[in-house]
Amino acid sequence: MYKAIRSESFTAWAFMAPGLLFLAVFTFWPIIYGIPLSFTDYSVITETHYVGLDNFTRAFKDHNFLVSLWNSLVYVLIVPVIQLLSILMAILVNSRIPGVKMFRAAYYIPVVTSMVAVALIWSWLLGNNGVVNYLLLKAGVLSEQVSWLSTSSTALYVLMFITMWKGLGYYMMLYLAGLQGIPADLYEAARVDGAGPLRMIVHVTIPLLRPHILFCTLISVMGAIRVFDEVYILTKGGPGTSTLTSSVYIFQKGLEQFNFGYASALGLIVSVLVGALSVLVFRLNRKGGVNSY
Amino acid sequence: MTTNKKGFTVSLLFVVMMSMLLAACGGNGNTAGTPSPTSAGGTGTEVDKGATTGEPVTLEFWTIALQPTFNDYFNDLIAKYESSHPGVTVEWKDYPYDAISQRLLTSTASGNSPDVVNLNTEFASQLGSKGALLNLSEYLTDEEAKSYFEGIYNSTILNGKAYALPWYTGTEVLFMNTKLVQQAGLDPANPPQTREELVEWGRQVHEKTGVAGYAQQLVSKLFPIDGIPILNEDKTAAAFNTPEAEAMIAQMRDLMAEGVVLKEDAEFSKQIQYFSGEQVAFQLSGPTFINFIKKSAPDVYKNTIAVPLPTGKANLRLSNSMNLVVPQKSKNPEQAVEFAAFITNSENQTAFSKVANTLPSSKASIQDPFFTESNGSLEAEAKVASSQSLDKATDYMVGVPSAADINSALTRGLQEILMNGADIKETLNAVENEVNNILSQGS
Repeated sequence: MYKAIRSESFTAWAFMAPGLLFLAVFTFWPIIYGIPLSFTDYSVITETHYVGLDNFTRAFKDHNFLVSLWNSLVYVLIVPVIQLLSILMAILVNSRIPGVKMFRAAYYIPVVTSMVAVALIWSWLLGNNGVVNYLLLKAGVLSEQVSWLSTSSTALYVLMFITMWKGLGYYMMLYLAGLQGIPADLYEAARVDGAGPLRMIVHVTIPLLRPHILFCTLISVMGAIRVFDEVYILTKGGPGTSTLTSSVYIFQKGLEQFNFGYASALGLIVSVLVGALSVLVFRLNRKGGVNSY
Repeated sequence: MTTNKKGFTVSLLFVVMMSMLLAACGGNGNTAGTPSPTSAGGTGTEVDKGATTGEPVTLEFWTIALQPTFNDYFNDLIAKYESSHPGVTVEWKDYPYDAISQRLLTSTASGNSPDVVNLNTEFASQLGSKGALLNLSEYLTDEEAKSYFEGIYNSTILNGKAYALPWYTGTEVLFMNTKLVQQAGLDPANPPQTREELVEWGRQVHEKTGVAGYAQQLVSKLFPIDGIPILNEDKTAAAFNTPEAEAMIAQMRDLMAEGVVLKEDAEFSKQIQYFSGEQVAFQLSGPTFINFIKKSAPDVYKNTIAVPLPTGKANLRLSNSMNLVVPQKSKNPEQAVEFAAFITNSENQTAFSKVANTLPSSKASIQDPFFTESNGSLEAEAKVASSQSLDKATDYMVGVPSAADINSALTRGLQEILMNGADIKETLNAVENEVNNILSQGS
């Protein structure tokens, strides 16, 4: 018995090895190496000195960094919205109406589209003379053109919308997989007890999707805090610091201004923040699923 | 059991972290053999002496976005150099604008630094102030240094050290959509000479046609255009927080509110879109702008003329130069400097300007008829207009250390005021603090 388990685990490790090796070299090692770097003024091109906690004290006095942290936290607000919408979409595309496969595919297209392409398309749509302004002006919603990405009051929310638009299909697929794992007899029983569609969603679907909700919420929170592509392509953090998120600021400090030591320290702070939020998400989603854990 | 396991894991992680921490503080693996930037004459010390005694040398030469368009020019030039320098082989590589700084970092980190690199002034100053580039003053003769336009050559001098050789450059000209200008009842034959006149023209165009005057990028050059220095004389503190700067920004804010200037921080690609789409009547930029308009809007191109750029209060025209630098970690610094000087000498700069429609940074080049005679085409007009102002040209980031950091701080500040409605004085104070911090940290 023990032998069997051992050989089984050996096989499992053997299959995982290539992927793990790749992760170890390109993900885990840089993360670990970032820790000592954050105590230095490493810049690749010049001599490196140990600076103790200077980078960390500087970070908490750095107005731009604090603003970027705040913006990243605001970005997390899309998590509940995106989860709720993707669950509803999953329920819709899980029904047996004709043509449902087309909808599934349509919702999934943004997920497989490159973020650069998505960002550029939205930048045209949202341009001063773009389709969005045109339609809203025609409909009388706006009285004058709005520079959606150049106005501080709208830029961050527009970016959040784009992130959400691109991510919906991905979470929808995950929830769809979860929905298809819910035993049909539970719905039968609920129906016999006189539950309508809404009650079935609230009392059967949502509780049994808990593990999926936990997983999706977790990666969605991490994704929201680490958001980079769409922000960097569309606004580079501007106007001013309106859309400056922590990843963009870390990128600018490290790869544009060559302050890798400082950027590593910022990265470490953000990692701790993501870790803390992940723990919080776990705490909020302890029970549920087909098998409670 | 689990506690033990956990304890073991934590201990292991701690040990790994501490050992790496010590490694990072100890030997500077990445800087071995590099003289510190402060050591006097710390350049020739590590030179591979064999290189100067006729042993084969390979120089790695990097440019920005010049392949494949200029392959013939560079292949000929490199062949010419190699034939007159036996034993020297030049390997030419070309990278996109966005990629070159990161390529430089990664190659430096892996110990394979290139020898001659094409960088813009901002990056050259940024790397120079971090001690990553060779001080070329120690290699150039007086005559060589004086062969370049002073304002452009001085742009990368920090603490008396020249970190770059100026190469091709461009000064801005004013492009004008004559159709829109005439619709507004203005005469393109008598173009505006000063910024004030340009603003008046923009206002009239906006009133009569509904189109904005021009779009612009919110960058630090807005200060020197009006004679407001970015830093003090000895480059140790910010000097832009003045009543003049407040007035300049307040005027810009009013112009944006009026619609004379587009209320946007418009990157070059956006400016092309606006001019092509006839959403603005003017465009202030270098001659390369023509190539884009020609492709994106042939009809607009037909109606466009180029005239000398109206000057601001400082009465100067700013250049936007490309340079050649030699990284501190080049293994063949002497040959690298010699090759960079060859590429940027007047003869080769003249030849490059002719094929690339750029301006030279060497004084002797603009004596060539190519820069003084116009055949009436838009390209020729723009070229003559801009080349004749080269002697007055100066780069707006003259000798600014950590230029990229300071630029980004100023840009953010301008965006906060002009687009987010922040208070001018408060924001200038905050940006001044930020810039002073950058200067005191040297990063």
